[in-house]
Amino acid sequence: MPYLGPGMLGFAIFIVVPLVVSLVISVFDWPLFGAPEFVGLRNYQYMLDGDPAFWVSLRNTLIFAVLYTAVNLAVALGLSYWLMNLGGRWAAFFRVLFFIPVVTPMIGNALIFRLMLNDDGIVNQALAVIGIEGPQWLNVPGWAMFSLIMMSLWQGMGYNIIVLGAGIAGINPSVLEASRIDGAGPVSRFFRVVFPMLTPTIFFCTIMTVIGAFKVFAQPYALTEGGPGNATNTLVLHLYRNGFSFDRLGYASALAWVLFVLVMLITAVQFSQQKRWVTYDS
Amino acid sequence: MNASTTRMPSLSRRSLLAGVGAAVPLAALAGCGGSSSSGSDPSTTLYTWISNENDRAQWQAFVDAAKEVDPEFELTLEGPSFEDYWTKVKTRMSSNDAPSLLTTQAARAQELDALLAPLDDLAESAGIDLGQYNEAMIGGMTVDGTVRAIPYDAEPMVLFYNKALFTDADLELPGLSYTMDQFLDNASALTSGDAYGLAISAGLVHLGMSIGFANGGSPVTDGALSLTDPKIVEGLQFSFDLVTEHEVAEAPAAVDSEPAAQQALMNGDVAMYVDGPWMYQAYADALGEDLGVAIIPSESGEARGLIQGSGFGIASNAKDPEAAFASVMAITTPEVIGSVANARGTFPSIASEEQQWAEGKAEDNVAAVTALAENGAPLITTPTWNEVGSQFSQFATDGFRGNRSAEEILGEIQAAIG
Repeated sequence: MPYLGPGMLGFAIFIVVPLVVSLVISVFDWPLFGAPEFVGLRNYQYMLDGDPAFWVSLRNTLIFAVLYTAVNLAVALGLSYWLMNLGGRWAAFFRVLFFIPVVTPMIGNALIFRLMLNDDGIVNQALAVIGIEGPQWLNVPGWAMFSLIMMSLWQGMGYNIIVLGAGIAGINPSVLEASRIDGAGPVSRFFRVVFPMLTPTIFFCTIMTVIGAFKVFAQPYALTEGGPGNATNTLVLHLYRNGFSFDRLGYASALAWVLFVLVMLITAVQFSQQKRWVTYDS
Repeated sequence: MNASTTRMPSLSRRSLLAGVGAAVPLAALAGCGGSSSSGSDPSTTLYTWISNENDRAQWQAFVDAAKEVDPEFELTLEGPSFEDYWTKVKTRMSSNDAPSLLTTQAARAQELDALLAPLDDLAESAGIDLGQYNEAMIGGMTVDGTVRAIPYDAEPMVLFYNKALFTDADLELPGLSYTMDQFLDNASALTSGDAYGLAISAGLVHLGMSIGFANGGSPVTDGALSLTDPKIVEGLQFSFDLVTEHEVAEAPAAVDSEPAAQQALMNGDVAMYVDGPWMYQAYADALGEDLGVAIIPSESGEARGLIQGSGFGIASNAKDPEAAFASVMAITTPEVIGSVANARGTFPSIASEEQQWAEGKAEDNVAAVTALAENGAPLITTPTWNEVGSQFSQFATDGFRGNRSAEEILGEIQAAIG
């Protein structure tokens, strides 16, 4: 107990109590200042059948999560495999290079991307040099979501590159050597040896990336404010606005609970399916 | 060390970690309830927006002017940027060490209803005549029949312009009569290549809303949103068309377009921009004698001002309302308001101080602001105004790119928020 106590205390104070309190708040009309009023399930009812932005932000969040996770894992896996083959100082250099965006503040990154992706920003200016008229990156729904995903990838991919790189480094070199002796080329070696042995790490990255993608907030907040229209509005941005801008803490808590349940379900499904493709044999 | 010395048992690594593990959450918990400010006296602390040096200089001007009357007067300034202010003020005022003074705009008084204490009785006890303040602003600061803040300014949205660029283009300077047709002609004449005639920012209460208001429209009628008022819709569509159809202005950036637009005017990159007189000094510093002020263009060419303004209120949970009110009164005397109007260019909320404001300004500039202020109405909004502004900032980019009409955008916001 003396060893378990501090951790359990922290868990109770920072996880369990806020969760329970949030659930309680979600059945109230709870202003930021003033007396709350009990409304039962009305917040949930309004969310499902009244709030036009909820379903849009849910759809946007799902699109973002699917595309971001898929591209992130594919590119990070490719790059980490490339770095393994590259080896030496250059590999270390590129690992640092890819990781730098992870530790830079998202708001700062978003401001830079905003300038770059303006109608007459540096990206469109560069495209104009080669005769291409660039799109309105932040002002057309499809391109705005694309920009959001690209910026998030730029910032978030370094983490998975490091984790997957560590996973690759943990593969027994004799297995790789044996595959070489057997005549397997890089592509064949990747799909028949590296990938199967890396599935536990890929599984971990998938879980963490999906959870992170569902919580996306700073990117649309700073890059597009959820626009144009609601094209890049996400659940957490919608939650934040309702809670802290529109004075509806109760409704924001209800949104938080729906997000929590959604992420929990998706994670549970992922865990239930892992035996189909994850192998822990070394 | 001799043999009889009692030796304390050394801490094992596990015990140390366990102790630290217990202490950190408790310390963090203690920190949650702690003070977020430096422990200043709440009755002399003002929570307000401080976006930049211009804002800070304006608030400091109130303090300096009050100190001239009472050298012992103290006022501590605290607060985030203007955009963040409306998001943070409610949580800040909920804390145990909340400042007793806060700022509000007339357009936000309804929204901050619960935060602002009624001032009528305090004013009566102190022998203050609230009738000396601008009637429209007092109307704007009145919620549920009680005055919630003392206005220090009453500022109509105006058209700032660069006189030198007008003169170089052989254009007559806009004045006390300015039609939308003239405005469009001037903007076209001042546009050439990549240089645009005017700058537009994407916020709700700017060019389009000001024009709609000047034409007799109102976004709020009898306390309810009326965003689909035809005059408001036409005004905003006109501002969209300036970009998409007439191409006399660049489409504003999707997010936070105001600083860039203001900078474009100050740099001489554009000839015109609609803003409030609270920016007068900043523009005067940049443009000097070239700074011109005209009325907002309208269909008839006559002036009708969309009056915005702000004031100082007392927190409804202030522990010592009388002391807080004394601080408010110290910074809203006619002398202080006149002094700030003179130093910072804010149009005063007390008519007798208008001369102080006019001092040192070009006569035509003074005439334009005065005309709009004297023939104007305050922007009184609804408790949901923050949501309206937030939604509009999301949708405006569609309008300025010609993807959707003002009618569609405002109709959708009206339907969603009601």
